[in-house]
Formats: sequence, C-alpha cells, structure tokens
Amino acid sequence: MAAQYILNGFVSGMILALPAVALTLVYGILKFPNFASGAMLTAGAYLALIFNVYFGMSLLWAAIVGSVIFAFIAVGIDQAVFRQLRDRTSITLLVCSMGVSFVLENIARFIFGNGARSYDLAIARPKHFLGLRINNEQIITAVTVIAAMIVVYLILRHTALGRAMRAVADNPSLAAARGIRRESIVRWTWGITGCLTAVAGVLAGMDRAIDPLLGWNYIVSTFAAAILGGLGNPVGAVIGALVVGVVEETSTLFMPPNYRQIVSFAAIALLLILRPQGLFGVARIKK
Amino acid sequence: MTAPILLRTKDIAAGYGGGDIISNISVDVEEGKIFTVIGPNGSGKSTFIKVLAGLLRARVGGITIKEEQIAPLAAPERVAKGIAYVPQEYNVFANLTIDENLRLSTEFLKRDRRATGEQRERVLGMFPEIATRLKLRAGYLSGGQRQMLAFACAMMAAPVVLLLDEPSAGLSPKFVTEIFDRIKAVNETGLTVVMIEQNVKEALRIADTVLVLVGGATRLFVPASEIGSTHDLHKLFLG
Repeated sequence: MAAQYILNGFVSGMILALPAVALTLVYGILKFPNFASGAMLTAGAYLALIFNVYFGMSLLWAAIVGSVIFAFIAVGIDQAVFRQLRDRTSITLLVCSMGVSFVLENIARFIFGNGARSYDLAIARPKHFLGLRINNEQIITAVTVIAAMIVVYLILRHTALGRAMRAVADNPSLAAARGIRRESIVRWTWGITGCLTAVAGVLAGMDRAIDPLLGWNYIVSTFAAAILGGLGNPVGAVIGALVVGVVEETSTLFMPPNYRQIVSFAAIALLLILRPQGLFGVARIKK
Repeated sequence: MTAPILLRTKDIAAGYGGGDIISNISVDVEEGKIFTVIGPNGSGKSTFIKVLAGLLRARVGGITIKEEQIAPLAAPERVAKGIAYVPQEYNVFANLTIDENLRLSTEFLKRDRRATGEQRERVLGMFPEIATRLKLRAGYLSGGQRQMLAFACAMMAAPVVLLLDEPSAGLSPKFVTEIFDRIKAVNETGLTVVMIEQNVKEALRIADTVLVLVGGATRLFVPASEIGSTHDLHKLFLG
C-alpha cells in the first residue's frame, strides 16, 4: 500500500516539476518569484480544452497547439506587464505577478464560468504491475514530464540559448559585455515558461476537474518544490518537486487528504528557517 | 612616428543619478599601444571605462573607434564593433565551466567575429593554465586564474581594443607582476589595451600613455615616460 502511495506521489511530483522548473527559470533570469505560475497553469489547461473539446483535436495535439500558443501569450504578458517594471524590486514584480494571476484566472472565469470541465479523453482500464495500480493518465504524465525535462536539460546544458540563459542568470552585466541581449533571453525564458506551465495545466486537467481555481491546487506545492531545490536551480526544482509529491502523498497515510498541503507549507517554513538557500542552493557559486 | 588613432573620446561626461562623475574627458588612444588611466579613489576611473564599454551612456560627448561614432551603441553592439571589456570583479560566469565561458565570449556575436578553432587554440596557447581544465566551473578558479580566463574570453573575439578594469585588484603580489607581464604579451600581439589601475608602479611599467583623472576631470594626459621624470604623482593626485 505504501508503495502505491509513493508511486502516486512520484507522478504528482512530476506534474509539479514542470511549473517548478518554470518558476525557477523566471527567478534565475528575472529575480522574482512568479506568483502567476498557478494561473498560467490554469490558462494552459483551458487553452488545450478549447482545442480538445471545441475543435475536436486529440488531447495530444490540443496540448501541443495549446502550449505553443501559450508560450507566445506568456511572452506577450511579459512585454505588456513585466517589461515595464524590469528594473524594479523583486517585491514589486511579485505583487505585479499576483495581479497577472488574478487577471488570467478571471478571464478563464469570464469565458468558461465557474463550473468544472474535463477533457474529451477515452477512459482506459488501469494496468497492474508488481501489485501496483498504474492508470493511463499516470503513464502519460510520466512520459510527458520525463520528455519535457530531457528537452529542458538539453536546452540549458547543450545549446547556445541555454548557456546564454545561465549566463544572464549568473551575471547579467557581464553577459551584456559578451554581446548577449538580455531582452532576447528574457523572451525565450517566458516562452519556455509558458510552454512548461501549459503542459502542466493539461496534465493537471487530466488528473482532476478543470476550473478557474485549478492552479491554486498547485501553487503552494510548486513554490515548496522550487524553494526546496534552491530557487534558480532547475535540477534542484525537479528533485524538490518529486520530494514534495511523494511526501504530500504519503502524508495522507497519517492525515486527511485535504490537509496534505500542510506538508508543503511546513517544508517552506522549515527551509526558510533552517536552510534559506534550499537543499541544493549551496552548490551555486555566488562570487 | 605616432601610430594612427584607434579610439577617441571627445568631451564626454557621464554619471549616475543627478550629477556627473566624469566631465570633459577628451583622449586619443593610439593603435597597438597601452593606454592607462590612473587616479585616486573616487576619481571616476571605473565610470570612464564603463562609458567606453557601453555599460553606462555618456550624457554628452562622442566616442569613436576607427573614426566611427559608437557613443549611441549599447554594450552588446560595441562588442560587435571589436571592444572587449574585462570587469574588475565578477568577470567570469562563476557557475559555468571554463569551456562554456570561452564559448559564450563570441557565440552571440556576428558570424565574422565568432572565434574560429584556430583563434581558440591560439588563445588557449597564451593561457595554458586554463587550457587543461576546460570542464571545471570557473568559480573554483583562484583570483589570478579567473583573471586569466577573463582575458582569454575577451581575446576570443579577436577584439581591436581590450578594456581592463583594475586587472590586479584583489590579486596576491606574486600574481600582480605576472598579470602585467601577460597584458604586455597580449599587447605585443598588436592589440590595443585601455586599462585603469590602482597599482601605479606596475601599470606605468608597461604603459605607453597615461591619463591622470582627479575628481572626474583630466589632470594630466602624457606619454608614460614623462610621469616620474617631469611630474610629481603625489602632487597630481592630491592637487
């Protein structure tokens, strides 16, 4: 039974990994925690819903088209909102991202109402392996997230864009002196962020009903995962997400499931007190 | 016989916030020479070199390189024009490897300025202490080795002028002489060097021309050989 909870926790953690990496990328480049991550996840879920339910696309194609479109929307949000406040403090940008969050959430509410919706997805029997029950959505989630993380890792470690993103995160003025245009890197960062959160939205929408508050179910856990991994550290964010997912899920063995986010809150509180740089924060060289 | 003028500033003024930190600075930097800016703390040396690098815009005045006006250009565009800048601190990407630092030094420049394999080998040949540790994160290098990596990165784009912001700052005395010897060796390849420096004795050892800045204004602009023989630095610095 415990193994089943751990498996479920890993899959929940995988859904968290996408917005956690997105959060940490934005933090690394722009130095503010993007509170709109949850609402961006919700918006991504609704975009895919439009293509899946109203245009009759398969969920795979709806997710691809929706996430590409949302990548452009995320860049548009940056240009319309965050760019105007580029050199302001992280607190100003955090508050601004709260505003973006409320706007996105209420656009979804205005168009789709408060009712719960779901994707047009065929119901499949769960599979059984070594006594574990694995449903179709879990397999899709695992494959999608692993593929997305491999792509993000390859971009960050083995492409000129990834090197430039890490360079801007490390030392923006030196990056400028090396001919790297920060604004171009910022746009790419928002594009990748939009894509990752939209895909996470689709996976979340497969896991539970889609409503305008969908993202709120993930926002605390996403922050916990990113902080656990050390904000600004994408690999740490993935590990943090998996840890948070497993711990939240296994905590339901001891407490009612609707209290499981207490674990995330407790993790954030403990880390901020004991190790504010996160579990993997020490690996970064400050100077 | 004087060399042609590579870099020229004409009556430039710049600063942060309301007031100017430097004003009316006009200098000519000859091609293939070492031009050094010295002065007491707070005299505007770092501001001057940041203006040349494009990290701070001149409020008035002009900057030309090979007679082409570059004052309106931002830092990345000046890099494309052949200006390489090595900051005093944080002059390498500490969380990236040496190899990644070297790649990034030209990866985002126009194709004609990107380092060829031959250029990379030539630069690594000049800095053998980093050539054998390409996979090491730059943050793990010592201060002197970081400075070498910063020079190497600047050299990768085959720049026309190298701007150095206090290259000996924070280095142990053992490394200081070595750093200045390396700068001279780099200059002897034909590269023009503009350097600001607190270590006046070492800087004057290799410099061709000297600008003495005091209170953000030009106190003296002469060949380096004249300093010491005809000018008293203490008087110049303290007014």
